[in-house]
Amino acid sequence: MGMDKKPLKDRALERYKKERDWFAFLLQAVDMMVTPEMKLQAKLLRILLDSKQAVVDCVEQEKPFIAGYFCSAPEIFNAMNLPWFMLMETPFLAASAPYILEDIQGAEDMGLGTDLCTAIRLPIYYIESGMMPVPTAVIGLLSPCDGTTMLNQVLQHNKAWRDVPLFCADPPYTSDERATQYYAVELRRMVSFLEQHTGRTLDMSRLREVCEESNRTYKLWQEYNELRRAVPSPHGWEIGGAQAFAISQCFVAGDPRCTDWFRQLVECGEIRVREGRGANDRVKEKIRLLWFDIMPYGWIYEFMPWLEEEWGAVIVMDMFSNFPYTLIDTSSEESIFLGLARRNLMEVPMIRQARGTAENFSSDIVRLVKDYKIDCVIWPGHMGHKDGSATAGIMRETCRKLGVPFLHIGLDLFDKRYTSVDEVKDRVSQFFTGMGLG
Amino acid sequence: MDTEGRAKAFEEFAGAAGAIMNPAVAAWKAQGGRVVGYFCSHVPTEVLTAAGLLPFRMRGTGSTGTELADAFFSNINCSFVRNTFNLALQGDYDFLDGLVCVSSCDHVRRVYDNWKRNLGTPFLRIISLPKKVEDAQVGWYRDEVAILREAVEKHFEVTISDERLREAIRLHNRTRRLQRELYELRKKEAPPLTGAETLAVMVAGTAMPRQHYNEALEALLERLRGANGQRDYRARLMIVGGELDDPRYLEVIEEQGGLVVTDAVCFGSKAMWNLVDEEASDPSEALARYYIQGQPSCPRMHGDQPRRAAFLMDMVRDFRVDGVVGERMMFCDLWCVEHYMNDLDLKEAGVPFIRLDREYNASAKGQLRTRIQAFLETMGK
Repeated sequence: MGMDKKPLKDRALERYKKERDWFAFLLQAVDMMVTPEMKLQAKLLRILLDSKQAVVDCVEQEKPFIAGYFCSAPEIFNAMNLPWFMLMETPFLAASAPYILEDIQGAEDMGLGTDLCTAIRLPIYYIESGMMPVPTAVIGLLSPCDGTTMLNQVLQHNKAWRDVPLFCADPPYTSDERATQYYAVELRRMVSFLEQHTGRTLDMSRLREVCEESNRTYKLWQEYNELRRAVPSPHGWEIGGAQAFAISQCFVAGDPRCTDWFRQLVECGEIRVREGRGANDRVKEKIRLLWFDIMPYGWIYEFMPWLEEEWGAVIVMDMFSNFPYTLIDTSSEESIFLGLARRNLMEVPMIRQARGTAENFSSDIVRLVKDYKIDCVIWPGHMGHKDGSATAGIMRETCRKLGVPFLHIGLDLFDKRYTSVDEVKDRVSQFFTGMGLG
Repeated sequence: MDTEGRAKAFEEFAGAAGAIMNPAVAAWKAQGGRVVGYFCSHVPTEVLTAAGLLPFRMRGTGSTGTELADAFFSNINCSFVRNTFNLALQGDYDFLDGLVCVSSCDHVRRVYDNWKRNLGTPFLRIISLPKKVEDAQVGWYRDEVAILREAVEKHFEVTISDERLREAIRLHNRTRRLQRELYELRKKEAPPLTGAETLAVMVAGTAMPRQHYNEALEALLERLRGANGQRDYRARLMIVGGELDDPRYLEVIEEQGGLVVTDAVCFGSKAMWNLVDEEASDPSEALARYYIQGQPSCPRMHGDQPRRAAFLMDMVRDFRVDGVVGERMMFCDLWCVEHYMNDLDLKEAGVPFIRLDREYNASAKGQLRTRIQAFLETMGK
């Protein structure tokens, strides 16, 4: 007699559904606002809710679905028609949810060190306490940091997950043609793995379509990023980078809905640039800021509006918003895999900077400061980004050469107890004052 | 062996482990020998030996602060890296003719970037170490070994023939066999050497010319084989973790009565438990296979945790270990999660386990003493 899986499934879906409901609540609030930007937010939330519901349906109806990552060539998941969720979805996308501190505390109570990245601790907590849907297969991640490597190994160690097939593409540390070729072979192995364990097959003509669609998306993204060069910048923290990343990499990579969203984003930006309007209609842009990391999702609403309203500091660019997403050459199967390898190994945000040597930390800062007329650079110094914090001296020196002030704070992007929001505000205020900004 | 004889037997090893520059390295340099530093157990040091170079494993021994390094690293970076880089910035590593780094962990790999920008060591390389342990990764690493080999040949104007590489492999394997024999002595009811003494011998092996080291180790083994051992300990302990190169850390544990009889640390059993294939037709591939699949792996190697756990359990059984100490450098994500899993595995196996977070310099001795005392008491020892 088989074990009754329902209680396990119910527990696994409990937090997941709560997260879905949190986004549904946000959608209700956003739907009441009428600006074109808020309409875009609403559209994104609807796509996100569809994506979450697809996973819930798969769990409840025992259909194949996978867990994966944004930088694991999600174009392939889409082409194989595989619903998926990101293993680090909660810290990346739902860290503003009201229960997040309770969950971080849960992770601490399990005995995970408090200096382990919160974005890693949270999924470990969900996995170990049975609060994450157990997928048909997992596509793990071995870059950019030590934490992600360990998260996969917890999956393999956990009794409920250890029989779930898991594949990780091995990321070379180098960034040359040999590395691209090697990673392309790894991605082909990933496809074979998915075919074997999900029963889905990859139709190359479908993958070509998806890649062509994602190329259209990225062209629009690049166009949009050109608009953000304007002074004042048409958008700040509230719309643009974070959402663009989420929709194009986490939910609907290579999907016409994604391209359509970007088209509207460009239109919104164009209108504001044409009218000379800045990111915040109530505030004049005084400081053009490069926030060189992920947004502080755990306390974003307590900090980002303050930044604009108190200081007129607008996040013109951030780590997740600008990268040279090279278009994929779709002329052959080989060129598609090489293009996907290049994109997912060397170009996607964070992997791009943190996977290999430190060159991209400095070269990206140089490029963005020049292209976006940046007045100052903030490296938040998230407690999980150890390699980045070991690059702080290099970033500081880069900024010194550019003549642009640099601030390294030291905080937790998801847990405001690590460095309180007030303390972060104090540090930023002292920095702006000391540097004569604002 | 009396106390004086004992001190004499370990003197050279203790000296090499207790400082960066030691007489053997100084003599090597004085004779025109060249020294290449390296980080991490995954660097194929046989390539350096085959080139006639002295591989020297990087440490922060003797560092008293991180003031200089802190301009480049931050307070969430491990203190091993910060202390070692600090020594380099203040000139303690000026004797190096080269440095080979590896993409091992988030802290160590950034040493390469900062070294490159701030220090003028003439030969500087970073090796791309795979994160999986399958045959495809052996293939990638074989090429990395070949690239390193070529770069060393070019820079140091030497030829590393297959035969020279095989000779180096045999020489390094000889070290591994001797060290393994040393560990075998620790299986005895009354081991003739302590954990601290063993660690000093192991660290010295990364800081002395190999031929000389092997001879000294053979002489030590000769003396230890018939020596009386220590019986007055409270418990037999195993130490598990990453970078641990300070015998004084183990001395504090052993002063409380916990005799460290074996380990799974980078400077310990992990560096020598298995051998490189001496007969392989392609010595570069033999090295790649050893460093990817052969030696007990680092937690950074994905998919290998079951093998690491099995290694730990074998050690516990073979050395009749009463309890396991999991040491971990603060801010190390790899060992944070690995020890979390070790804790669960050992609990299930009924083996007492304690996790100790530490800074590189053995400064918090009082705290360590208290934790170990409590651990031994909870074990009923």
